[in-house]
Amino acid sequence: MRNFNRLRAFEAPRLRGPAFALALAFGFAPATSFAHHSFAMYDPAKLVTLTGTVKDFEWTNPHSRVWLITGGLDGKPEDLWSLELPTSPGNLTRMGWSKHSLKSGDRVAIDFNPLRDGRHGGSLKKVTLLATGEVLTTAAPATAQPTK
Amino acid sequence: MQSFSSMSLVSGLVCAAALTGASICIAGEVGDGATINPPPTAQAWADLAKLPDWSGVWFPESWMATTARHPPTWKPDVVRDVEQLKALEQAGHPKGLYVDCLPEGMPSFMIMTLASTEFLYTPGRVTILNEFDGNRQRRIYTDGRGHPDDPDLTFHGHSIGRWEGDTLVVDTVAILPETYLPISQAVGIPNDGDSHIVERIHLIGPDHLVDEMTIEAPHVLAAPWKVTRNFTRNRERIHDIVEGSCRQGDFVEGKDAQGHAAFLPVGHTEDGAPLPPDQSRPNP
Repeated sequence: MRNFNRLRAFEAPRLRGPAFALALAFGFAPATSFAHHSFAMYDPAKLVTLTGTVKDFEWTNPHSRVWLITGGLDGKPEDLWSLELPTSPGNLTRMGWSKHSLKSGDRVAIDFNPLRDGRHGGSLKKVTLLATGEVLTTAAPATAQPTK
Repeated sequence: MQSFSSMSLVSGLVCAAALTGASICIAGEVGDGATINPPPTAQAWADLAKLPDWSGVWFPESWMATTARHPPTWKPDVVRDVEQLKALEQAGHPKGLYVDCLPEGMPSFMIMTLASTEFLYTPGRVTILNEFDGNRQRRIYTDGRGHPDDPDLTFHGHSIGRWEGDTLVVDTVAILPETYLPISQAVGIPNDGDSHIVERIHLIGPDHLVDEMTIEAPHVLAAPWKVTRNFTRNRERIHDIVEGSCRQGDFVEGKDAQGHAAFLPVGHTEDGAPLPPDQSRPNP
């Protein structure tokens, strides 16, 4: 199992003094309400594939999410990516996914449409589990709403 | 099947002109001005079985198909605003109609929903449940009441309905002016007030339901917007409505300062896409 300490991004920021400043530096936003956003900020004309390790798979509304760690080999620094699935757990269930589809530590190759501005985010299209070769996609079934 | 007149008898009312938004109820114990919803009779429950079978879970077609097939006719000065929004969306900087997680409201509840939908019959009311963004609901009163004289404005408005044969005709007013007329998740225009929506909801096949909407928004539309949404029936339990919250994705699961399970905020792009902590500030 990899050591994720370097990427312990999700501990609660203390809301006073230097720690609060640290939280701001990390970009923890105040309680803005964003969650259901359009996916137009992702570039549908580009498809990027990254190989890495699942940090967390969040079975979350309105869009589930994979936090993917890349790099960290041969002395290279690790990078963390936010890769959103283009719909909700309810619709993903109808596409054959479950909360157990991915777990922390899984080695995966993920195809995604990247953010247009180059930051580490994307709209997930396909996951290949490297241990088994299993492939999961976000293609909608015939009776379901097409994903974004 | 239940006719309009027999439904009226169930509720003890004779109402007319629901299509105009000004239903007139000339008799009955639960009409305009009534303050009590009487307990339903056994006959009222039995009469529900005569209504068309809308049971099961309904899945909408793509909203992209809906709005492409039936585009609205905007007033000339609004066309410029729509084109600007389209250009922003094309450039990857969507305004995002629902990023604030307020209710999508009407007509978006019917035009833009992208998840399971249910229709529930109870005496005097049809309730529409939706998985999308917070398991929101519409209440359509079929007990013969009219619209309130001075309704509070709401996202979904005030809806009254009546059965014309197997078609539920719904009249909705009192919609907040900020509520969007949507053509995509990033392009829509507030109705700006005085919006009025008439729907004709009915089956056109065993598992095919349509909602034929006529949307009036005189401050932004040059003509009433006629738009039809198609729904497909599913009986597999995998389609059952599940929880659909809107803001959970603004957070990650973690621990608070006391060690309790807690949702902790996540950084975003300015358009709402989540980002790792070291990427969360907008690029200079």
